[in-house]
Amino acid sequence: MDEPEFRVVDPVLRFLRLFLPTTALAVAGIVTLLVAGHLTGPFQQITVVRAMLASKREFFQDEQVERILMAKGLQVHVTPVGSFDLAAKEDLDSYDFVFPSGQAANEQVKKRRTGKHAVPYRPFFSPVVLATYRNYADALVRAGVAERQAGGDLYYDLSVGELIGLIDQRKLWSDFGLDNGNRIIAQTPDPCRTYSGAVYVGFVAFASESDTPRTEDAAAELARRIKPYFDVEGQHLEDMAPKYFSPEGRTFAPVAVIYEHQFIAYQTGQARPDRDRVLLYPKAQHQSAPELISFGAAGDRIGDLLMHDAALRKRAVELGFHLLGAGGGPEEDFAAFVSGRGLSVPRTGFGDMVAYLPDGPLFDLMRKEVGGCR
Amino acid sequence: MRAAVAVLVLLMAACTASTPEPVRLTVLASSELADLGPVLADLKRDTGVELAMEYKGTIEASGQAGGYDLTWLSTNRFLELRGGEPPLSATTMLSPVVLGVKPGKQLGERPTWADIADRAALGELRFGMADPRVSGGGLAALIGVATAAAGTGSALRTEDVSCDRIQGFLAGRAFDSPDVTGEFVRRQSEVDAIVAHESEVLALNASGKLSQPLEVVYPRDGIVLSDYPLTLIRPDKRAAYDRVVGWVRSPGAQRSIMERTWRRPVDPALQRAEKLALPMGNALYFPDSQEVIDRLLAFYDRAGTGRQVVFVLDYSTSMRGERVSRLREAFAALNGFDRFHVGETVTIVRFAGRVLEERSVTVSGRGDLDALLAVVASDDLQDHTAIWSAVDHALRLVRGEATVVLMTDGENNAGLTANEFFRVGRGEVPVYPIRFGEADPADLDRLAQASGGRLVDATAKSLLEAVREIRGCR
Repeated sequence: MDEPEFRVVDPVLRFLRLFLPTTALAVAGIVTLLVAGHLTGPFQQITVVRAMLASKREFFQDEQVERILMAKGLQVHVTPVGSFDLAAKEDLDSYDFVFPSGQAANEQVKKRRTGKHAVPYRPFFSPVVLATYRNYADALVRAGVAERQAGGDLYYDLSVGELIGLIDQRKLWSDFGLDNGNRIIAQTPDPCRTYSGAVYVGFVAFASESDTPRTEDAAAELARRIKPYFDVEGQHLEDMAPKYFSPEGRTFAPVAVIYEHQFIAYQTGQARPDRDRVLLYPKAQHQSAPELISFGAAGDRIGDLLMHDAALRKRAVELGFHLLGAGGGPEEDFAAFVSGRGLSVPRTGFGDMVAYLPDGPLFDLMRKEVGGCR
Repeated sequence: MRAAVAVLVLLMAACTASTPEPVRLTVLASSELADLGPVLADLKRDTGVELAMEYKGTIEASGQAGGYDLTWLSTNRFLELRGGEPPLSATTMLSPVVLGVKPGKQLGERPTWADIADRAALGELRFGMADPRVSGGGLAALIGVATAAAGTGSALRTEDVSCDRIQGFLAGRAFDSPDVTGEFVRRQSEVDAIVAHESEVLALNASGKLSQPLEVVYPRDGIVLSDYPLTLIRPDKRAAYDRVVGWVRSPGAQRSIMERTWRRPVDPALQRAEKLALPMGNALYFPDSQEVIDRLLAFYDRAGTGRQVVFVLDYSTSMRGERVSRLREAFAALNGFDRFHVGETVTIVRFAGRVLEERSVTVSGRGDLDALLAVVASDDLQDHTAIWSAVDHALRLVRGEATVVLMTDGENNAGLTANEFFRVGRGEVPVYPIRFGEADPADLDRLAQASGGRLVDATAKSLLEAVREIRGCR
């Protein structure tokens, strides 16, 4: 008589025996989808790329950009830091790439990476502008320092020199018919930490003194002369752009130093153009050229995609950037996109202020003196 | 088969990935964030991150951030003034510091801080505020009022705080409890208003604990805005921090914060609730120096200590006509931050060749101010000018902390000479001479310098401006 036979069944095997056919089908389907690039699933190897970014993080935090990169197995983990803070971070080398917002900060990073992998990519540029509201822009027109651009109802040209004249005379917004007893200034992010803040120091310096300082003494003297214009504001705000676009923006800062791309991205994201928010273009402009500086293979991969991937470059235009590098002329892309969205195309300025800025170390000395940087 | 099992395990892992690993973070938070309880419960449910909150006043907390994983304060401005540089922070919600006032106090259409100070100085508006030595809301209010009082339209500088122009405002302070809304509920029958965040006023109105709801006043000369940054202190908690920030800034959480705590969302696209859609007006520029804050708090600590101001007024015959009427107008026009205030002792000494009249009043309301104006309205002008004897007389009247203001238009030609006056030690009372007409600037400047006061020249500006300039100086 046989003893009763007990077969030990591995529950996993038993499960598989029951469900393997369906599972196999599902797996096959997912694999097909993955290969076709429509879906990212748990099987795909995702490379997490660690990056430090200033204002250009808005590009990498855009949902469409995230999706395009994810389809290629890439995910950018963003650490938000001001451009100059970024260049000075102790753990700089631990990132795959950094993306300072403009020239002077780019150079500081590259200097620190001397002798190490540091490949720069310049995919796009964007002018530094002053963002404001219609009634404030009109007040500046009445004050004789701004004029509306012909054919561009959202844009004004601004004479920074004449604006400084108003600041010097301690004029209040209420002197020009507004319900605001604060002194007229443009509010800037901290020049100690941010590139746009430093560029505004450059605007004011250039407008105050046509002779570019060539010695440390001359740079320090000029910085001390213009510092009072910045002291009016006291403590600077961080992250001007998101505050400016909020319904409470007027309370934060009626005139804020931001990048043009932030304004264009906001306007084209609206159902119809917001005619209350307008830009002031300094007559002597500065085109900020942010640089992706890669510290290794993963960073190189992102940099190459930014220079050559059609979908990413198209999205960059939609986010308000002027393209640089391969492909059509940058102005055509920008102008075509902006007018395609029912906005008028801003007229660019008369010259590039960067030509008049002092050398890197002197400019650095000036922004630190003005900002009272630690 | 092994490969198939691996695939299956992977698939199952993918299916369960929506239940994240539980994490507990320690958070040092501003006291008023105790109202976030239900929001934090949702956060834990959705992200697995539990925030263990410890509540303190923002000012107190700004010096103690070390030892916590995160901070969640009303603002990082005070942290930065102390030299702190938070590595990573994200704004989460907004609320302005406002005046919540009982209806019927008739402050007028869109009042300024000066209008509020004016009524407070007269004892006609009694308000509660949070202690500015502890609370961010309390200190923001103090900075706001002091910036408005300085009237420069720019950020407060140390020199702007040298003349203390907020004593009139502070005369209306009924309490400075750390729990401003709780204290107001207890004392609502005797107190008219609170200085607090908009969120605290609206929550109080909705609580049913008030016999009549407070009206929210956004002072026209400017507010201070809190933006509640969530800040990473310990870098190794970055992953959990990212989960929290991502969740708090998501539309659902932003809506929930707005509906439960009356704070405005940072998400620009989110429709504000009706009561949170009102324009807040302008923000005052914020000072960039800890020294300014320290000075402001020193003045705050000394508020209400019964100060005395002695006006020594020249009623010699050369003042007849336009000059004396300008002097009367200047006194009548003192209002807002410059008004004589409850608790202050005001002494007026009229002089010509000798002291003509002396009158002291400790202000308790409007009636006392009328009595002072009556003294100034006197038509009793006489010959000669005894400047030094009159100042000497005034200094003898001083009791405790005081300032002396001398207004004269002429040369000394009676009583003590300048040399006789200066031969005697004069103590610590600062004298502020206001010069107009033919008065000798050299002697008056010597008087100001010797006493620690300052000479104000009213030949180039109105007498009222000159009086305003030294009002509150000590």
